[in-house]
Order: sequence, then C-alpha cells, then structure tokens
Amino acid sequence: MALKKAAAQAITTDDERQRDRDLDGLVLALADADPLARRWAARDLVAYPAATAALIARLVVEPEPSVMEVILTTLTRIGDEQAVIGLVQCLRSEDAMLRNAAIEAMKLLPDEVAPMMGRLLADTDPDVRIFAVNVLESLRHPQVESWLLRVISDDAHINVCATAVDLLGEVGSEIAVPALLALKQRFTEEPYIQFAADLALKRIAAG
Amino acid sequence: MKRILVIDDAATVRLYHRGILEAAGFAVSEAINGLEALERVAEAPFDLYVVDINMPKLDGYGFLRELRSKDIPQAPAIMVSTEAAANDQKLAYVSGANLYLIKPVRPDRLLAHVLTLLGLSVAPRDIHHRDQQGRHP
Repeated sequence: MALKKAAAQAITTDDERQRDRDLDGLVLALADADPLARRWAARDLVAYPAATAALIARLVVEPEPSVMEVILTTLTRIGDEQAVIGLVQCLRSEDAMLRNAAIEAMKLLPDEVAPMMGRLLADTDPDVRIFAVNVLESLRHPQVESWLLRVISDDAHINVCATAVDLLGEVGSEIAVPALLALKQRFTEEPYIQFAADLALKRIAAG
Repeated sequence: MKRILVIDDAATVRLYHRGILEAAGFAVSEAINGLEALERVAEAPFDLYVVDINMPKLDGYGFLRELRSKDIPQAPAIMVSTEAAANDQKLAYVSGANLYLIKPVRPDRLLAHVLTLLGLSVAPRDIHHRDQQGRHP
C-alpha cells in the first residue's frame, strides 16, 4: 500500500511540474484537461490576488465539483473586493450548484460582503434578493437584523419576505416585532407568511 | 400509512409543509439537504418527496438525479421552489420531478397534488374519520 501511495504522490508531483508555478503558468493550468492539474492550480493561486478574475472565469465553466470547491476556497482566502464581486456574479448563474457554492463562500466573508449587501437586497431580480437573504443566514455581522427588517418592511416580493422571515425567527429580537406584525397585515391572504411570521413572533417572545 | 420526505434547508418551510401533511394523516420525515435526504432514503424509501431546489451540499436537482438512478421502488417527487424561471422548471423535470410548484404553496393546493400523485381520492385522515363514523353510527 505504501508503495502505491508513493507512486500516486509521484504522479501528482509530475502533474504539478508540468507547468511553471508562477501566475501565468497557474492561470494556464486552470484550463488544463486534467481536473487534478486544475485543482492544484486553483489551490496554488491563493498566493496571487491578481488571479481573481481568472479564477472567477474558470468557476463559471468548471464542470468538476472538486475543482469548483478548491476555486471557491481560494477565492474566499483571497477575499478581496474583486473576489466578492465575482461571487456575486455567480448568484445570477442558472447553475444551482454554483449559486449555492457562491452563497456558502460569501457567508465566510462578512466584512467584504457587508458593503455590497444594500445593493444586493435592492437588486431588480427577486432571485438575487432571495440569495442575498440566504447569505445573511450565517453572515456574522451586526447589521443582519436591520437588513432583514428592511426586507420585510419594504420588499414587495412575497418569497423575498418569506425567506427573510424564516431567518428573523432565528436571529430576530424584540425590535423585529412591529415589522413582523406589519408584514402579517401586508400579506393577510398568504398562509405561509402568516405561519412563518407567527412562528418568528413566538420564537422572539420565548427569547 | 404513506410516508413523505420533506427536503428543505429552511426550517420554517419544513415545519409548514410537515404541518399540512401530518394534519392530512401522512407520516412525515425531514431532511435539510439532498445528502441527508439520500441517507433517509437508504434507510427506507418513501412514498413521495417534497423537494426544495437551492440547498447546500446537494441541491434538489442533484438529489433527484441520484434518487432516480437508484435501484429502489421509485416514488413521485414535487419540486418546490421560489424560482419561476422556465429553465429551472425544465431542469426539475429532466432531473426526475413529477411536478414543479412555486413557493409559497397554499395548503389546499399542496394537499390536492399530493393526493393526486399518490392516487388517493381522499386524505388518510378523512378515511380514518369515515371508518370511525362507520363503526359508531
């Protein structure tokens, strides 16, 4: 077994050495036919913040989930504004796996995502607004509750409000009570909103 | 008793669907994403699935594709999503959904579709009530 493992490692090392490990070589390797080479390139590009655009470009066409995962890890580790803009673009993708992966990556970048949250929650596409609320789910940021309150007070789309109410049930405080009651009034004919708002109010009352 | 698996990462949505289906007399289990749903299926297949699309780890499309590739008794699946885009609906059916509903789903509508897909004319709860009335006129 040990010999087999050593042989496998040797192959991996050869793969790694097929191209230069500088920025240009690694960016080229992102388009390699071999997923292993693409994975190594994505991993090593963490040392090059200038590679963000190339990583995003690869991410939207990458068919291999394991490579996609490494690209997202690298983007979150680079974590600059360019990386976040790229992740936001992924929210508009038709690929559900990519959208979900971008949401999970954005949750790890609270300080970088926060300045864009206002714009995301005001996006013309309701699906993007829903995904933005999904990002808030695990975004450790002091403004989360006030963003959610703005959504349930101002957003006209029922599913954006419904997604925000789900989350308010978990993170909401007494401050959210008037907005939740107003939401119930706004959607009196919608059983789900009534159910979710009542549940959130109960949870808030229970502390 | 017919068994239904509700798969959604939002706890409130799971509770909502569970409440509607349990009140109608179904046995309901929950999973928070496609991977957990596949684990539930491995324990024992269900009679019907209510599946969200956007979930971490394994989304609804991925779950249905895996489910349909398994050599187990297949059951109908209702995909429920916030997305109204035609492409999402097409992908849902290609992945193996029997029906695509846009959230939020009204209780009477969900129940009507579940009964149809299960080939039932009335909810199990109503059969039970009818039987009890028959015994105690």
